[in-house]
Formats: sequence, C-alpha cells, structure tokens
Amino acid sequence: MAKAYDYLFKLLLIGDSGVGKTCVLFRFAEDQYNATFISTIGIDFKIRTIELDGKKIKLQIWDTAGQERFRTITTAYYRGAMGILLVYDITSEKSFDSIRNWIRNIEEHASADVERMLIGNKCDMNDRRQVSKERGEKLAIEYGMKCMETSAKLNENIENAFFTLARDIKAKTEKRLNQNRPGSNSQNGTGSNTKLKPKDNGGSKSSFFKMCTIL
Amino acid sequence: MTECTEAYNLSELVSETNTNLKKVKCLRCDSFILQPNSGLFTKLEMSLSIPALRQKKSIVTGDSIEYELLQNFWIVNDAFTFENIGFTNTVDNKKYLICADCEIGPLGVQNLDNPNEFYLSIDRVKHVN
Repeated sequence: MAKAYDYLFKLLLIGDSGVGKTCVLFRFAEDQYNATFISTIGIDFKIRTIELDGKKIKLQIWDTAGQERFRTITTAYYRGAMGILLVYDITSEKSFDSIRNWIRNIEEHASADVERMLIGNKCDMNDRRQVSKERGEKLAIEYGMKCMETSAKLNENIENAFFTLARDIKAKTEKRLNQNRPGSNSQNGTGSNTKLKPKDNGGSKSSFFKMCTIL
Repeated sequence: MTECTEAYNLSELVSETNTNLKKVKCLRCDSFILQPNSGLFTKLEMSLSIPALRQKKSIVTGDSIEYELLQNFWIVNDAFTFENIGFTNTVDNKKYLICADCEIGPLGVQNLDNPNEFYLSIDRVKHVN
C-alpha cells in the first residue's frame, strides 16, 4: 500500500517522575472497562496523525516509562528523536530545577538539532503553584525553546503543544530539504553543536518572548 | 456508557478487494483509527484469544484475566497506516492495540513473531462512512 503520509516525527516526553508526563500522553481512564488490564501492562507508545498546511504528519510519541527514576535516560531512547517535550510540574519546584539536568542529558545523548519545548504541566492547580509562568518563560528563552503551560487533567493545550512542536520540526525539515536540494552536502549534523535557530526571527528577547505561547 | 460491541454485517464492511470499505473508529470515543481501504479483511480459522474489553473480576486482586475468542480482523502491515493507535508494552511477545485517545482496549494485537502484521478486531471497533 502506498505511503499515505508526508512526514514521520518521533517525539519524546521527558521530565521527572510525577510531573504528569504519563497524563500528557496517556490518560489511564480508571474504572472504565478494563483500564486495569491496560494500565497493568502499561503503554509503550502512540501513533497520531495530524495535518499541518495540507501535509499529513505521523507522530510517534514515546514516554520514558519510568526510566527517568534512575536520573538518566539511555541513548537508545533518544535515537531518532526529532522533538522533545520537557515536562515539569508547576506545583513542584524540584521538577522545575531538574529541567536543566534533563537538558544536559539531552545535549549528551540526543541529536544536536532536536527540537525542544518546555511544558509546565498541571496549570489547573494554580493554588498550589510553586513555579511562576515568568520563570518558565525565562528558562525557555535561555535555552531557545518555546514554552507552554498545560493541564493534562483538563486536556488544555496538550494538543496545541504537540502541534506546535510538530510545526517547528516540519519547518526545520523543509528548510533542510531545500538546502540539500541544490546539491549542498550537509549531513545530519552529528557531533557539532550547530543548532538551527528556532525560525529565523532574529532571536531577540522580545521575539522569543512572543513565541512563548502561554495561555 | 454504551456497550462495546455492535452487530455488523460483513458484506457492508468488506470491499471487493477485501479491504475495509468504511472508516474505522473507536466504539467509545470516536477516535479515528483507520482510513478506508487500509486493512485487509481476514477471517481466522483459529480464533485469537484476546483479553476481554470488560473484565468482570479485578485483575489487581490477582484474579485471572478473562479472554474472548475473536475471528474477524483487519490486518494492517505498517503501524503508520493507522491514523491514531496506541501500543501497550510487550507481554508474552505480544503488543496490544488500544485507542490512542480513550485507551480502551485491547482492540487488537501484534505478535512480535510477525511484527508486520497488526490485527485489529472488527468486533471491537465501529465502522462509519
């Protein structure tokens, strides 16, 4: 059967245990049907199909499945990853502090041009908030990422986060395809630290700030 | 909550080329699982035994899992043919298919001995135009 899609992107969810990564990807609807059977085995990954600018995109989304408890994630998990959602819990200072460690881990193991995005989850629990939106934004700017606050519980912004990340990867991929077309021989920049800037809008603080879609 | 099986008439579901005529969706939440013409109809001589959608007993307390024998499937040969689907972790060399949105399942199975054959149970999905 003919290939029925234009792009395939592998995405990862990374962050401390308990920040709700699992809820971002997996819902584990309790008590209904045999949720117990499925949640006992656990979910490995999901495939989702989205459409962006008339292109059909397959997303393969992986969770760390508890590996993060050991504070490191193996290179195998990062292999082929094109986008990473870095998730912290806005009610947990500690999970926010860990983001820098995760970024280091990514820089060590993932492809140098992997697209990253910062997610502050559980924004439905504002009364227990420990990390302000501003601090999230500041960290995102520091690392040249977009950021977003989500509520897996209320299903708020989650889809938006996946779409945004997919859109950025698509833009990057198409840019690379265009560069390669005239015969320029740029390999998949392994090793080198040359990161494609997110879009080419200068990268001034204010424009980065606008990219921080916090709703 | 609606019951998760619906009566169907195979002649209305299977095309002349033995593929699914209609869109395949989740019975519970309507999540779009398979485009028309993407799965190959198969009636197995040896039914597959797959954990039931509704487990009467609680697995947590150690009771055994209830299975159901299923015979009619859409076979898909590439995981990315699915519009939206979830995969469980591997148990007994199998991965079960679940709804990517509401996580009801198993909707089917992938036996890792034949990793390029994904069996989606016709009994556990719905078919819409």
